[in-house]
Amino acid sequence: MTNDELATQLADLPGRLLRRLAKGRVSRHAGMGKNRLIHMLLSLPPDQRARVEVALQSLQHELPPPQPDTAPSPPVERSHRQKHAPRRTGHHDSRSTHCGNDGGGYCGHACPWHPVRPGDEGGEHVVEGSHRQKSPAPGSHPPRPAADAPPATTIEALLQDIGVPPPQPFTPDPWQQEAVDLLATGNVILSVPTGSGKTYVAVEAMRRAIAAEQTVIYTSPLKALSNTKLTEFVQIFGAENVGILTGDRRDNPQATILIMTTEILRNLLYDAGGGEIDMRLNTLGLVILDESQFIADPERGVVWEETIIFCPAQTRLLLLSASIGNPDEVATWISSIRSTPCHLVHHRNRSVPLRAAYLDPSGRLAPLFRTRDIARDHTPPLHPDTKYLFTRYEDLTLGPRSRREN
Amino acid sequence: MPPAIHPVDLLQILRRRHLTPAIVFLTSRRACDEAIDSFAHRHVPIPSERSAVIMQTLDKMIAEYPSITDHPLIPTVQQYGVAAHHAGHLPSWKIAIEELMRQGCLDAVFATTTLAAGVDFPARTVIVTQSHIRKNRTLTELSVSEIQQLAGRGGRRGKDYVGFVVVTPSPYIDVGRIARGLTSNPEPLDSQFVISYPMVLNLLKAHVIDHIQPILEKSFAQFQLNQRANVHETKLDKVDAQLQAYGQRECADWITQWQSFHQARQRRSQVHLKKTHRDPPDVLARLPFLTPGRLVEVSKERGVVLRQYRSRSRGYAMVTVACSRGRIVEYPASTVTAVLDAVIDVAETRRFPWSTSHGLAHANHTLENLPARLQRLPIRVEQDVTDNPILTETLSGEFPCPTCPSRPACQKDHPRAWRLHQDHHRFTKTIHALRTDLWHRFRQHMDVLQTFGYLTPASQLTADGEWARLIRINHSLLITELIRMGAFEGIEPSLLTGVMAGIAHDDDRPVAFSRRNAALASVLGQVRKVAYSLATYEEPPLLRSDVAAVAALWIAEPTLPWKELIRSTAMAEGDVYRLLARSLEYLSQIYGLKATHPALAHVADQAMDLMRRDVLRELP
Repeated sequence: MTNDELATQLADLPGRLLRRLAKGRVSRHAGMGKNRLIHMLLSLPPDQRARVEVALQSLQHELPPPQPDTAPSPPVERSHRQKHAPRRTGHHDSRSTHCGNDGGGYCGHACPWHPVRPGDEGGEHVVEGSHRQKSPAPGSHPPRPAADAPPATTIEALLQDIGVPPPQPFTPDPWQQEAVDLLATGNVILSVPTGSGKTYVAVEAMRRAIAAEQTVIYTSPLKALSNTKLTEFVQIFGAENVGILTGDRRDNPQATILIMTTEILRNLLYDAGGGEIDMRLNTLGLVILDESQFIADPERGVVWEETIIFCPAQTRLLLLSASIGNPDEVATWISSIRSTPCHLVHHRNRSVPLRAAYLDPSGRLAPLFRTRDIARDHTPPLHPDTKYLFTRYEDLTLGPRSRREN
Repeated sequence: MPPAIHPVDLLQILRRRHLTPAIVFLTSRRACDEAIDSFAHRHVPIPSERSAVIMQTLDKMIAEYPSITDHPLIPTVQQYGVAAHHAGHLPSWKIAIEELMRQGCLDAVFATTTLAAGVDFPARTVIVTQSHIRKNRTLTELSVSEIQQLAGRGGRRGKDYVGFVVVTPSPYIDVGRIARGLTSNPEPLDSQFVISYPMVLNLLKAHVIDHIQPILEKSFAQFQLNQRANVHETKLDKVDAQLQAYGQRECADWITQWQSFHQARQRRSQVHLKKTHRDPPDVLARLPFLTPGRLVEVSKERGVVLRQYRSRSRGYAMVTVACSRGRIVEYPASTVTAVLDAVIDVAETRRFPWSTSHGLAHANHTLENLPARLQRLPIRVEQDVTDNPILTETLSGEFPCPTCPSRPACQKDHPRAWRLHQDHHRFTKTIHALRTDLWHRFRQHMDVLQTFGYLTPASQLTADGEWARLIRINHSLLITELIRMGAFEGIEPSLLTGVMAGIAHDDDRPVAFSRRNAALASVLGQVRKVAYSLATYEEPPLLRSDVAAVAALWIAEPTLPWKELIRSTAMAEGDVYRLLARSLEYLSQIYGLKATHPALAHVADQAMDLMRRDVLRELP
C-alpha cells in the first residue's frame, strides 16, 4: 500500500478505531488530533507499518460498507501550514472544522458552504462531515437535538446595539437606594462593577450626614482622585462645604466634608489616639473609603486596615470597592470589630452591558465568546471564528513549535 | 510589546464599526508613544471641525493649567484625535486628556495599565492587547480583578447602550486567560498587614502594652489568620477523635513511650548488624538462595542467576541474571519476585559473561523449555529482626514495654498512632503560630526600637520616641537615625531635598543624568553607610545619586524653569513630577518635627517653599 492509499484509508476510519490502531504503536496518542495520529502511523518503521496495514484490514471488516454518496477524501496534509488551507477554501474536505464545531454539531452563523436542510429548527444546519457521518446510515442514528448547542452569535448581532441612548432623567437603582438606607443602621460595603454609580451612593450618604450635622471624611488612595472628587463635590455642595487635606495641602480644613488620602486619615486617627485631637472626631459621622480594594495592596493595604480599626465608634463606614472576590469575608470582619453591624451590597451587573470581541491582525472582527453577552458564572467557549483566527495568528507568529512538531 | 495590528489600522476598523471612542491598553509607555507617532507618519487627520473642538477644550484646560501651554503633543492630539496617557506625562496633561475624553473629542487614547487603577474615564470600547504585564522586571499574569478593571472602562453610562472589550493579539497574549478573566469571579482580597516602626511607636503612645494584642487581633490580617487556624482546628479535632479511639493503655502516653522504645530497639539492633546487612528482611532472607544456577522470577520473566554481588556505590545486593534470548541483565536482589525450586549447572567464570558459552547456551535452552508452573521456594522472612531475646532483655530494664500486657496492641497500633500523634503536634504548633503571628512580629519590632532607644525597657516612649513617631513614612528608622546622629545639622535645603528624594525614590529604571552633584553624592554615600548598617532592621532605600540630583537641582536653582529641569535629565516628565511630589511629602514629615527640631524643620520648610513653584504649584 502506498502512503497516500494508507492515509486515505486511515482518514476514513472513525476516530475511535483509529485510536485503537494507534494504541501501543504511537506514544501519547490520546492527546493527538486525527491528522497528527495518521502522520505518526505513516512514519512508523516498515515492519510495524505492515502490521498496521493488517490490523487496518481486519478493522475495516468490522465497519459497514461506505456510503455511495461519500466524496473521496483528499490525501492528508502534513505541514501545519497546509493543514489550515482547506479551512479557508475547501469545505468539501471532511476534516475541516470551519465552524470549530468539533462535536459534529451545528454551525450557527450563515455559512455558505453548509447547505441548510429544509425543516431544521431555526435555520440551523448540520455540518456535512463525510467521515463523521460515515458509519451511521441515514436513519440508523437519530440526529442530535438542536437544543444541545445554541448557535454561536454573529458579529452583526454583537455590534447591533451600538448607539447613544436618549437622555433620561436620572433614577437611582434599587441597590443604590438600599445602600443609602442601610447606612442608617450600620456600616456598608459596596462591591459593584466599575462605573455603575458608587459615587451616587456616596453623595446621598453625605447629604444625610450633613442634614444630621455630622462631619464627613472621604478618602481615596490617590491624590489625583482626591482632586477629581474635590471638583465634583464642590459642584454639588458648594466650595464652602468641602475641604481637602493632602500631604502638603490644607484647604478649608474646617469644612463639613473633608477629602483626603487614606494615609492622612490614618495619621489623624493616630494623633487623636495619642491625645492630641486637632480634628472634630467626636462629630465625625461618616467615613467613606473609596477604592477599598486597596486593602490588599502589598505596600499600602495596612493603612486601610488601621483606618477601619481606629475609626471612632460612633462613625459609620462606607466602603466603596470594585468587584472583589470575598466581600462577605470583609463584611464579617468589620461586623466583628465594630459596634454596629456591617451590611453588604454586592452585585456584578453592569449598568451598561459589556460585550467582548476579537480583532484579528488581518482586520477581521469576530465575537470573542459563543454567546453574545459576557457570562458571569462560567466561561463560555470561545467563538469558533475567534478560535480559528487566533490559532492561525499563533501559527503564523510562533511557527511550528506551537504545534509540538519535532 | 506592540500589538500585532498597526495602531492606525486598528483605529480605522474601530471607526468603521462605530466603536470609538476607545481606550487601547498597551504594555509600555514606549508602545503608547510609538502608537501616537505612527498616526503622524501615516498622516490620517480628522476633519478640521473636530480639530477645532479639541482646540477649544484644550484652550480651556491651558487656562487652568499653564504648564501644558506648549506641550509637544498638542498638535498630534489636535490633528489626529488620538492621545497617549501614561505615568510619564505630567498630571496636568493627563487631566487635560481625561477631560477631552469625557467631552468625547478623542477617538482613542493609548494608555498603560496603570490607568486602570487611577483616574477613571470611560469609553465605548476598551482594547486589550496583553494578558501579562511587566511588574518589577518580571512578566506577571494580569489578575482577574485587573482584567475586570480594564474591561470596566468600556461603556459610558448614559452615552452608550452597550460597551465593548476588544481583544487583539500581541506577542505573549493568552486569549483564554483574558476570556477567563472577563467571566470569572475576582480573586479574594488578602490582608497585607505589615508592622512598621511608626505603627509600634504610635500604638504604644496611645495604649499601654497590655492593650496592644487585642488591638492587633482586630485586624483583617488576624481575622484571616484565625480563619486558617479554624481550618486547622477542625483537622486537629479529627485527629484527636481518631487518637481517642485507641482507648486507655497501661501507660498514659503510650505512643511516645512506645516510640522511644521502638527507636532504642532499632538503634541497638543495628549496632550488631554489619553495614552490608542493611537489606530489608525479605531480601536478607532471599540472599542465601540466589546462588549461580538458581532459577528465579524477576521483572515478569524468568532467568538463571549467574552471580550475586554488592553494588559498589550503596552496597545493595545485586544479581546478574541470564534471561531469555541470551540477554544478561543486572537486577537488584529486591526485584526478584520469586525464587524457584530449580537449579541448573551454569559453569560460572570470573568475568563477563560470568559463565562459559556452553553454560549460557544451556541456561537459554532450559529457560525456553521450562514448564508453565514451577514450584516456588517458600522463604521464611524474619519479620522483626529486633525481636531477639537478648536485646529484649537488656531493653526491659529501661522500658516497661517488653513486659507490658498491652504490648501486642501497642505494637500493632503504633505506626498509625504515631503518625496521628505527629499530626496532632504539627497542627497544634501551626494553630499557635497563626494565632500569635502578628503579636510576635510586633514584639520583634518593639525589641528593635528598645535597642535603638526609642522605647524604654518598660515599653514607654523615650524622648526620641516621642518625636520619631511623627515620621510615618517608609524608611522611617533610617530617617530618625540620621536625625539623631545629627547628619542633617546645618544642611542646605537642596541637599536635604536630594537626600529625601534618594530615600523616597524606589524605581530602579536606568536614568542618565549628566550633571553630577559632588556634594550630594558624598552625603548620599554617608547615608548609604547608615542605611546598610540598619539593613537587618529595615530594607535600605535605593539612594540613587542621579535621581536625587534632579530634585536637588530644582531646589538649588530657584529660577530654573520646569522645561530646563526636564531637559537636564532623561527621566520622563511625569516621573520627575512624582519624584518631587514624594520628596515634598517626606519634607513635610520632617517639617512636622518643628517642636523638637526647629532648625531642621526650618530647613525643610525652606525646601518646601522652593519646591512649590511652576508645575508643582498648579496641582495640590
